[in-house]
Amino acid sequence: MAILNNTVVTVDAILTTKGRELLARNDGSFQITQFSLADDEVDYTLYNPNHPSGSTFYGEAIENMPVIQAFPNDTQIMRYKLITLPRGTARLPVISIGYNTITLKQGASLTITPQTLNYLGATSTFEANGYVATISDVRLISSFQGTGITTTAIGDQNLNTTTGAVLSKSVIGTSITLTATTVNTLYGSSLTTLSTTITVIGRDSGARITIPINIQKVSTT
Amino acid sequence: MSFSRYATDDSVISAETVVRGMWTGDTYTLSTFFTSSTYTEYYVDVYQGNPTTTTASVQFDIQYGHIAGSGSVPINPNVRGYSPSRVVYGQYRNLVYGTETTNFSFDGGVTTAQQIYVINISRERYKQSIQPGTLNLTLNSGSATNKIYLTDDSNTTSLTRFLGENRVFYIISGSNGNAYTSSAATTYYGIMLPDLGFIVLDASGSLTPYIQAASPATNSRQDNHLKLYTSISSGSNFQLQSQEVVSSRYFFTRIKNSEFNYTTNPSIIDDNGNLLFNTLINSPQTFITTVGMYNDNNDLLAVAKLSKPLTKDFTKEALIRIKLDY
Repeated sequence: MAILNNTVVTVDAILTTKGRELLARNDGSFQITQFSLADDEVDYTLYNPNHPSGSTFYGEAIENMPVIQAFPNDTQIMRYKLITLPRGTARLPVISIGYNTITLKQGASLTITPQTLNYLGATSTFEANGYVATISDVRLISSFQGTGITTTAIGDQNLNTTTGAVLSKSVIGTSITLTATTVNTLYGSSLTTLSTTITVIGRDSGARITIPINIQKVSTT
Repeated sequence: MSFSRYATDDSVISAETVVRGMWTGDTYTLSTFFTSSTYTEYYVDVYQGNPTTTTASVQFDIQYGHIAGSGSVPINPNVRGYSPSRVVYGQYRNLVYGTETTNFSFDGGVTTAQQIYVINISRERYKQSIQPGTLNLTLNSGSATNKIYLTDDSNTTSLTRFLGENRVFYIISGSNGNAYTSSAATTYYGIMLPDLGFIVLDASGSLTPYIQAASPATNSRQDNHLKLYTSISSGSNFQLQSQEVVSSRYFFTRIKNSEFNYTTNPSIIDDNGNLLFNTLINSPQTFITTVGMYNDNNDLLAVAKLSKPLTKDFTKEALIRIKLDY
């Protein structure tokens, strides 16, 4: 990763890890059909509506910032998507899953049902196309399933193919069920709690939330 | 809504020719040459820097070939004639002519060239082919009078010649694809096969004033390839360009005035989702830095970054051309 030279207009694209995988699969799944926009590195607190030169300069600090080069990890880029909402929107959609932190004992299960607040005029709503949930370290979860959305492609994504080699996994649904691992070896000799994160993104609104998950050890055998 | 679909006419595939300087760092001229102390009778690697340093890389190889295997030691002492120089000659004869019955000749088949030198450019350097008309090679056997400036004849001939399926240009005295004199245009010192990435020079005599004469002594190691290396090194000028065709797909990403004027960036809202600045309620602004390209399954296949944030609001539209190389 490096800083882009901002004297040159650069719009070369790179393939993501997922893109390379689908290209290698050669089954027609590498078909670019749609796009989305993001502003991951923009800090909007730099937006200055009190700029002495007027409204043209409110975004001056942001407009002149150097942009970081693209990186291929598809779970770490395009995090903050731009969205289309009616003009005059004062509150932006946010995801609520009812927890600030999830703590599970080994083997315990939990189902979360995300909601989107402030979306399309409703205080609270369930998005029609569901939610994408990504666990960043799938080794800590023995079962990770999304339910409530039925299409062939999404069904494939919801297949439980958890292996120790995979670091992250995404599922799609209106409800997400996860079961904490019962494997003790991950704790080593001294740990009593393992931590990871879950990220939930509204497939319609683009809103997202990331919260920590703690898995507490219950057995020493 | 955070996705917008590409229309069928929003993407186009284009093949473009990219020309670069041949040598490391895309430089056009190589004036200093290095070899390693370890080399074989088959070839010697030529570097642009001291091969003991990490920045040195092989630019090209030099080989010597003899039709009967002279000038090198037999691979098996009991089988005379089957030596590296014969292997090299046969190898390139097969690549150029595709038959063992046609030998190298640089005068239209009148005389068989019993000996050849080969300059084989590293594949990493020539990419897809050598750019005709860019060859400038100076050979010098030691004194100012024994110096020759070689080029290919791509600018002196009106017809592209082929040997089999390979394009071929003759090596003549001149520069930048042009002959030094009109008579020089028909005096050939070798051939260049741009699509195979190598140059074959006549080692049988015509270049003798400019290269120390190759020794065709039988069954003994003569390291004749080093004689061409010495001549190239003394000439201090090897200019060449590479050429490759890059297929690119362009996506024209059209962003309408009413779209993408809000963001899910958490730095723009408070804990309840309220915009931090009231001015953004009726005059929202976003700053595009990244374009993500997806399939129908919402898999992120490719990403493009703008060189600076692009301001977007209800009064602006944008068209971003994104290039994806294969």
